[in-house]
Amino acid sequence: MALRNTMMNFSSRAIHTSAICNQIIKLTRLRVVDNSDIGKQAMVEGKPPKCIHIYNKIGVGYIGDKVLVAIKGEKKKGILVGLKQNQKTKVPKFDSNNIVLIDDSGTPLGTRIHVPIPHILRTILKNKTHAKGADYTKLIAIATRFV
Amino acid sequence: MNQANVTHLVSKLKFNIRPTPRRLKNKDGPPGRVLKIQKTLTALFEYERIELFYNRADEVRGYAERLISEAIRRGPEDHEMMDLANFWIIRKEFVHKLFKVYVPRYQDYSIAYTKLHKAPRLYPGIYYKRAVLELRGNPYPSIEQRNAHSNVLLHNLLLSEARKEYRMEKYKEIAESMNEREVTSQ
Amino acid sequence: MHGALKMSAAVGRVLSQQMRQSLKVLKSLAGKKNRCFSASVPIPKEGSVSNNEQKSVNRGKSADPLECRFMYPEFLPDPKPEYRNSLREKLERADMMARRSKIDIPEFYVGSILAVTVSDPHAPGKSNRFVGICIKRSGCGLRANFILRNVVDNQGVEVLYELYDPTIQKIDCLRLEKRLDNELLYLRDAPEEYSTFSFDMEPEIIPEGTPVPVNDLKVTLKPQPWLEKWERKDLKGVRDIVVNQKREMKAKAALKPWEKYDLMKIYRETIPEEEQKEIFAEVYSDLHNLEITRQKMKRQRTFIRPKKSG
Repeated sequence: MALRNTMMNFSSRAIHTSAICNQIIKLTRLRVVDNSDIGKQAMVEGKPPKCIHIYNKIGVGYIGDKVLVAIKGEKKKGILVGLKQNQKTKVPKFDSNNIVLIDDSGTPLGTRIHVPIPHILRTILKNKTHAKGADYTKLIAIATRFV
Repeated sequence: MNQANVTHLVSKLKFNIRPTPRRLKNKDGPPGRVLKIQKTLTALFEYERIELFYNRADEVRGYAERLISEAIRRGPEDHEMMDLANFWIIRKEFVHKLFKVYVPRYQDYSIAYTKLHKAPRLYPGIYYKRAVLELRGNPYPSIEQRNAHSNVLLHNLLLSEARKEYRMEKYKEIAESMNEREVTSQ
Repeated sequence: MHGALKMSAAVGRVLSQQMRQSLKVLKSLAGKKNRCFSASVPIPKEGSVSNNEQKSVNRGKSADPLECRFMYPEFLPDPKPEYRNSLREKLERADMMARRSKIDIPEFYVGSILAVTVSDPHAPGKSNRFVGICIKRSGCGLRANFILRNVVDNQGVEVLYELYDPTIQKIDCLRLEKRLDNELLYLRDAPEEYSTFSFDMEPEIIPEGTPVPVNDLKVTLKPQPWLEKWERKDLKGVRDIVVNQKREMKAKAALKPWEKYDLMKIYRETIPEEEQKEIFAEVYSDLHNLEITRQKMKRQRTFIRPKKSG
């Protein structure tokens, strides 16, 4: 009887009872929103990239953070440009977790971003840009629309 | 943080309510709680004074007050009000009693319609607190025992005055007798 | 009169800063504040003519201050007893009125389409405008907020704004209407066309005195998975929600048919009529004052200009 009860408990715990927090952690599926070949192909094939590392010290990705993704069997870096998660006031929240693929120097792989980008990303990326390290100004430059 | 719900307008209750409802633990869960309240409410409207456990009495008190105040606000013509009364009062005759007896009785009340008294615990017996819940203006004699030794009460006032008078007389007598003794000794 | 109001507004702002510091100082200041208001109250009472002047603020309003509760739900405090504090509520209302005297916050409901302009240090022009449908209003007092939703370039975007945020420059109500539900969060699971609105939408003008139109649009949801269990929410604005048998049974088991009769639950979720009357009587007269001062300001401006040129 006790065994059956524990089994019942176990099976009932298979469902989630708490609200999802939509955090970007390792193995989160993301959506590529630029027109780079690899990103476009991955999205068309229905194999969206998986986050395999977040380049900060907390392991949770927030807006403007750099992530490492596994996309079509390759490792690429990307910048989070829009999140599903609840944001602070006046910061837009999106219906999907968007990334733009970049190379090691911070230059985007594509030439156009086809979704709106939050204005706050300008400031965040400006602060993260260093003369010798990453240069994210090109990413802002290829954005078509800001909200 | 939330906004107040503005679809319903309610009258303010004239006594302090608990911030959270009680669960009134039972094996049927929330529907069982509702059934408990329905039964007690019907009994209260039938007998006007009932003795029960304190928790249940305090919980039912709010529902009784709210039902009466809604009945006063809306009247028997309102469909929703009738629905409400039929839901909470299990026996039909007390729905009539609500509108014909209680509504006229409590129309001009500026105090709470019910009264909750703490009752003594039974010994030996179940340890839970007990209470008496009654509708105000019921035909029974009051169950509140006034303090019979209060100085404000008239008979106590008269008695104390009489006692004082008696004592004064006594003192006078003693004084006189002492005077007499002095006179005789001289 | 305007000076007095300005001063009272300033006092209100100072108050909100000091709120945490000392209750004693607050109380004495609150007393001052009351005197300010009581001095300015008699003006609207002088004539009922001011009712007409006020129409631009209160569309389709009646003489009953209680009707304000649909238009300005944030003036009512949180019904939870642990959050109640009559002094804080009074000060907050004063601050809200001070803010309302600075910018015109229009009447709007869930389902209305709004355009919000905020000063944004991140934007190139230092200001940012967003248009969207209001899908939720919540919070009370100075923390009142609303969520706007729009679909921009096939990407759903939502922004949460605080109603009394000092960075808000302008709030425009482009289309004033109500929907069938109190929350439109299901638009997140609805096709994009239901929440797509053009950024250069012209404000629609509704003739004065007409009641707020109710849009009885019924939405068809996208196929599952959904963000929430919509079949359990008793939504009036959603057409035929189809779920599998198991979910249907579970939804049936989760039904709470007694909840609409739960008198104490209703009571605990709302503010009693007597308190609402008190609150709105206070706010109502303040709104009158605001409108009168605004019109006076207009007159003053038009009067001064020829002097300057001459």
